[in-house]
Amino acid sequence: MLLVVVVFSVMNCSNSPDEPEVKTAHVEKKTPLLEDVDGEALQQIINSYKGKKAVLVNVWATWCVPCVEEFPEIVKIQRKYPKELRVIFVSADFPEDRSRAKKFLKDHNVDWTTYFKTAKDEAFINSLSKDWTGALPFSKIIDRKGNEVAHWENKASFDTFNKHVKQAIKP
Amino acid sequence: MKRIITLSACTALAVVALWAFSPVEKAAKDELKIGAKAPMLETPVMDVSGKKITLKEVGKENGLLVNFSCNTCPWVSRWEDRYNPIAKLAKEHGVGVIALNPNAAIRDGGESLEDMKKRSDKNSYNFYYALDKDSRIAKAFGATRTPHIYVFNSEMELVYRGAIDDNARSAEGVEKPYLKNAIKEMAAGKEISDKTSKSLGCTIKFPASE
Repeated sequence: MLLVVVVFSVMNCSNSPDEPEVKTAHVEKKTPLLEDVDGEALQQIINSYKGKKAVLVNVWATWCVPCVEEFPEIVKIQRKYPKELRVIFVSADFPEDRSRAKKFLKDHNVDWTTYFKTAKDEAFINSLSKDWTGALPFSKIIDRKGNEVAHWENKASFDTFNKHVKQAIKP
Repeated sequence: MKRIITLSACTALAVVALWAFSPVEKAAKDELKIGAKAPMLETPVMDVSGKKITLKEVGKENGLLVNFSCNTCPWVSRWEDRYNPIAKLAKEHGVGVIALNPNAAIRDGGESLEDMKKRSDKNSYNFYYALDKDSRIAKAFGATRTPHIYVFNSEMELVYRGAIDDNARSAEGVEKPYLKNAIKEMAAGKEISDKTSKSLGCTIKFPASE
């Protein structure tokens, strides 16, 4: 009986929907690496961090060269600010390339939940930004209060991400 | 003293090098507005046939369709089965068609004129496929991705801008054939139902100075 209570408690802690923990092998088994998302659901996920963490949304794809080039820099940013920032990766790969996207995430040691775009392009693009023309990669940074700090198309350097994230995590 | 000068020069060089090679974040570009006149109509571009042409020469009695396309983008590959049928439809409706390759930064990475010729031959392109030198026309249009479509009427005013349709993955799964509709409506002298649309695509690889 005690064992059941302990196991149940552990499961409850590790399955917190809005605060998936980074970096533990135990959680990695329980936290899905890639979940389907449309524009509306993504917005809800972003909103769930309001008042808790800043958010960096990055839309990428395995076939997108600039996305692949900047990806490790964004992972470094997440490692640099584990408590203050949540990086939300959204793969825009074709459905048949889902396993390829998952392998890419594992190869880059991503151990928190990321997302896989399922919505139609236009609705998804506009849900993130009216200014986004659809070119990949796309990044958007939101501060702890839920206000947008920056967004842009094309790849960026670690310093660029860091500059905006530092502004976004200010108390 | 000499050492200080050398050190300063090295530091300055390092700063310049870092500035030159660091990727710079970019805001969304200003895309050509609906109703705007087509820019660079008389700029010669080299077609895969080896002939130099201008957008003005490509335009027909009812207008001009410009498609910023390339050889290396998976989204282009997905939509490519619709390239020839749409070009045929456009020509039947008195609209000239050209695809422009703006990927100036990676000409050595599969986007050379020779690569374009192979692509055109392999897929039996029934339209011009020309090289946009230094991405100049793409910049003037505010194009950001491939494929990226611009349709102009007989007055060379922009009437449609955006995606080919709403389903890159499958021609059979298309619910909104934006471009086909725009061509038909424009040729019939009607108002275009959807004047703009968006889709995901590969970033245009502008020259390094961008």
